[in-house]
Amino acid sequence: MRKSIAIWAAASAMVFAGGVAHAQAFNWKKNDGQTINLLLNNHPWSQAMRDMSGEFTAKTGIKVRVEIFNEEQFRARLTTMMQAKSTDFDVFMSLKFREGATYDKAGWYANLTPLLNSPASTSPDFNFNDFGEGLRKAETVNGKLVGLPINLEGPLFYWNKEIFKKCNVAEPMYLEELPEAAAKLKACPAKGDATVWAARGIRGAISYAVSGFIYNSGGDFATPDGKPGLCQPNSVKGAEMYANLLKDYGPPGAANHTFTQVIEMLGQGRLAMTHESSNEFANIVKFPGRAADIGVKVLPKGKASGISKPIVFGWGISVSNYSTKKDAAWYFLQWATSAEMEARLVKNGVAPPRSSVFNGPEFKAWTAELPIRQAWANSLIEISKTGTAISYPPTDRVIEARETVGGGVQKIFLGQAGAKDAMCQVDADLAKLQ
Amino acid sequence: MMLPAVGFVAVMVIFPFGYALWLSLLDYKIGQTLTFVGIGNYKALLADEQFWNGLRLTFILYAGALVLQLVLGVALGLLLHRLETLKGLIRTVMVSPFMLPPVVVGMMSIVVLDPSMGVANYLLKSAGLPTSLFLASTDFVIFTVIMIDTWQWAPFVALIILGGLQSLPTRVYEAAAIDGAVGWRQFVYITLPLLGPTILTAAVLRSVDLLRFFDVIYITTQGGPGYATSTLNIYAYRKGFEFSDIGYASALMITLSTIVFGAVLVFAQLRRKVAW
Repeated sequence: MRKSIAIWAAASAMVFAGGVAHAQAFNWKKNDGQTINLLLNNHPWSQAMRDMSGEFTAKTGIKVRVEIFNEEQFRARLTTMMQAKSTDFDVFMSLKFREGATYDKAGWYANLTPLLNSPASTSPDFNFNDFGEGLRKAETVNGKLVGLPINLEGPLFYWNKEIFKKCNVAEPMYLEELPEAAAKLKACPAKGDATVWAARGIRGAISYAVSGFIYNSGGDFATPDGKPGLCQPNSVKGAEMYANLLKDYGPPGAANHTFTQVIEMLGQGRLAMTHESSNEFANIVKFPGRAADIGVKVLPKGKASGISKPIVFGWGISVSNYSTKKDAAWYFLQWATSAEMEARLVKNGVAPPRSSVFNGPEFKAWTAELPIRQAWANSLIEISKTGTAISYPPTDRVIEARETVGGGVQKIFLGQAGAKDAMCQVDADLAKLQ
Repeated sequence: MMLPAVGFVAVMVIFPFGYALWLSLLDYKIGQTLTFVGIGNYKALLADEQFWNGLRLTFILYAGALVLQLVLGVALGLLLHRLETLKGLIRTVMVSPFMLPPVVVGMMSIVVLDPSMGVANYLLKSAGLPTSLFLASTDFVIFTVIMIDTWQWAPFVALIILGGLQSLPTRVYEAAAIDGAVGWRQFVYITLPLLGPTILTAAVLRSVDLLRFFDVIYITTQGGPGYATSTLNIYAYRKGFEFSDIGYASALMITLSTIVFGAVLVFAQLRRKVAW
């Protein structure tokens, strides 16, 4: 009797243990039948997600509804929904360097660390450490994982080699050679009606593009003692070069331009050079002829300073803290950032944040197909090594700070103030935000 | 019987306004501790250069567009009233601009008026005429915005005026004709005074819209270039949604709401005076 009880107990224990093990095993179909809502910024990654989300549904049974807005509208909607503690959306895109601290303090991000550590919620082949260390750190706020990286990006220098060739102008190798090249191109009748230079002129978008000019000129957004540093001579020099290129060689109406107008001009072959996002690479080469005549590289380093310090960062996707379907949302995050998906997203111009994909045979084969793809990939490798995400002075109020910097640069190219006066005023305004 | 109406007003008008008023008394930034500051935000407004710039632009836009739309609206209304042929077609065509969503009007304006890629400059250039910066000029971008709004809404005023003209008593005109008042004199001394209440109704409707004008500016210039179209509405939006300064943005909105109520009250009083 005792023996049979012991056997029964042992058998029960085995069944129980097996049951627990079974309950803890990861299963892609665990959240079958749920629906999650995505709130996304208009971006090549988001467009790809919208097209590919059916595959996620087939794999998991989780239905996906995608809402995509342009960045300003996306942020306005996100703020409104979060302020209302809405459960209406589950996943959203977020730029942690820009808003991570603010959103975290407001309690908007779900803590993903427990989900990442749970064998029941995280696929065994989801290799978190495959993401670059800097990107993992960027998605971690106050010790909590609040998102997963989806791309790697930064502004790059694009130039139309055909226009340069027609005008017999050499490819700029140093930052200081940009105005020289621009002057030669302006005087060249062979360029036709092409604009010599274009870049972001809208106040809120300037900071992203002007940063490389400031750093490469030897300037910085902060002084050594942590105060706003735009009034430092080399910072003024960089901002002035950016503004003067727009003023002297830019298209009329540049003050209202952001990447959409710039990329349109470059894509149509009506622009000689610009400093625009690496993300736009796929959109540029979609235009007929551009894959052959466009060159791309990291913004040339400063001749006097010897510095090359480009901007680099990555968007991430996060789960809303108010979501009632956090587990299903986390499944989406895993699927969307898996190595398999990233390898496919490269073809949409999304630079992969996973080392295995960046160094993988598929990506290498794809880049080797065209010299411009190789140049783009090399530029991304370089900015990921030498770049910084800091395109604003030290403050928690990053968005206002970036807007203030942009306002100062706008004043210069609109002729409302001299470079030194404008940037020193920027420092005075920024000091109020510190 | 009154209860549903009172309930509706309480929920849909008094609560949101009261809540915004309460928010305007707080130092409320997303991610920061909430503090009661009383009229602190309103005091800060008085020292804020951007607030005064926004107020100035709001009034320029308001006055410029209202005058233009009333003058053009009355002229178009009179023209439509006299029209004998193709009445239906012309009225339908006139209605179309204000049937368009503001987003469409904004996008159309960019396509037409962008100085480097717009159609307008292409046509001007082709005709050998000087080109213009339109939406990119800090000096006259606000007037470009006034023209866009006038293009969209003057026909609306014209239709209101047409309705007013059609309801005017004919015997007054017969008597005026017997007394020798015809043409311009008839318009100035008979038509215009009789149209007074209708014009003021159109003015009230356009005032409310113009003072809270937002969409087209946001789409075309986002308040720029520089701060040349940063009206109070645009400024408040940026403060609230982009800089997450909810308290200050609420103070701006309460100030703007007060201005709108003030304008409506003034026109309502005027309407009473010109009623016949």
